[in-house]
Amino acid sequence: MARVRTTGNPPLVAAVVLAVVAAGAAGWGGWSRYDAAHDDAAAYAQARDDALAAGEQAVQNMNTLDHARLEQGLDTWEDSTTGDLHQQLVDGREAFVKQIEAAKTVSTAKILSGAVTELDDRAGRAGVMVALRVTVTAPEGEPAVKESRMLGRLTRTSEGWKLSALGQAPVGNTAG
Amino acid sequence: MKRTAGTTVTDTSPDPETEEVPKTEESRESKESRKSKEPRKPSESEESKESEESEEPGGHEEPHGDGENAGNGQPEEAAGTTGASPRRTPWLRVLAGVLTVALLATGATLFVKGQRLRDTPATSNHALTDTEATDRVTGEVGSALSKVFSYGPRSTAATKETAKRVLAGKALQQYAALYGQVEKQAADQKLTLTTQVVHAGVTRLGTGSAHLLVFLDQVYEREGKAATTAAAQLSVTAELRGGRWVVVEITSR
Repeated sequence: MARVRTTGNPPLVAAVVLAVVAAGAAGWGGWSRYDAAHDDAAAYAQARDDALAAGEQAVQNMNTLDHARLEQGLDTWEDSTTGDLHQQLVDGREAFVKQIEAAKTVSTAKILSGAVTELDDRAGRAGVMVALRVTVTAPEGEPAVKESRMLGRLTRTSEGWKLSALGQAPVGNTAG
Repeated sequence: MKRTAGTTVTDTSPDPETEEVPKTEESRESKESRKSKEPRKPSESEESKESEESEEPGGHEEPHGDGENAGNGQPEEAAGTTGASPRRTPWLRVLAGVLTVALLATGATLFVKGQRLRDTPATSNHALTDTEATDRVTGEVGSALSKVFSYGPRSTAATKETAKRVLAGKALQQYAALYGQVEKQAADQKLTLTTQVVHAGVTRLGTGSAHLLVFLDQVYEREGKAATTAAAQLSVTAELRGGRWVVVEITSR
């Protein structure tokens, strides 16, 4: 009460200014909040980060496979992909199972760095480049460690971004 | 609401203007503020009247006014404003005050919420969202890397000079430490290295610094031997210095 009275007591100018400032603050705050919610740049930035996170995870998944848990690993591969790549994996699954069961290898991957190179937020397409280290352990011999660089295409699905194409970034083909 | 009733009835102020516009708090106040500028005598007479009346509605009022008076040393002025308030609908003032505070609080809350939506780690990273800046940093860093990692037996000095321009900090130190070896090798083995950027992407782009991932192809040519190509992946940190991107850290991936 006392506080309100003191604000009311100074001359009218102060009261009016305060009221105007208050109304302005409310208006500006409301506009700011609305604008932020409809900020395309913010949505685009979020899509970029989502695409990168999903892309890195998918690339890691695609380079991870344990012969002892083959079915589970291949399910993860299929879950990480969509479109043609997904279809290829489904079609080639049986042959691949035989191959890995014979080789008894365990592959693990560590993502070293990644970046989104293109992003079409509306069309739901993105391109990622990922540097990773892949370790392949065979039943005999030392694990083989190799640095790998991959380019992936991502497509947005109802379950988020998924790989629609993945390949090694070619070496010695600098004309392209 | 005794006060309200009392106020309207007892408002026998000689000022005709006050009578005319008793509707709003603000219009009344304007009169008052004008009043306070008027010669002292009328307001003094008003003061005595008002101080009598204001004791009725609220005992708190007067002491407060007195405090102000004491501070100002101008009893007339303070009385003109402070003394009058309890007479005329103080609840309107309370309402106005509460509304003002509510509006301010609403504005502040919405603004903070908006900022929270806007200022996420995602939005502070301008990679791709600012295409011009993204292309520029990619181009400048790519050009810097291909220059400093390209040399021939006779061009090591030129490369070294370029490095001093496009590299800085840790990157330049590392480069300088290795370069003695490179010069010797280039001369002894007649080695030519040509580096080309195959792919470059910006991981993080801030106002003055950027992180990139760059895929390079490096072609080694020794006189009389077939050229070999090697792949290199580098994580690069660049800083904007004097209007241009300078590579300050290079990590091989």
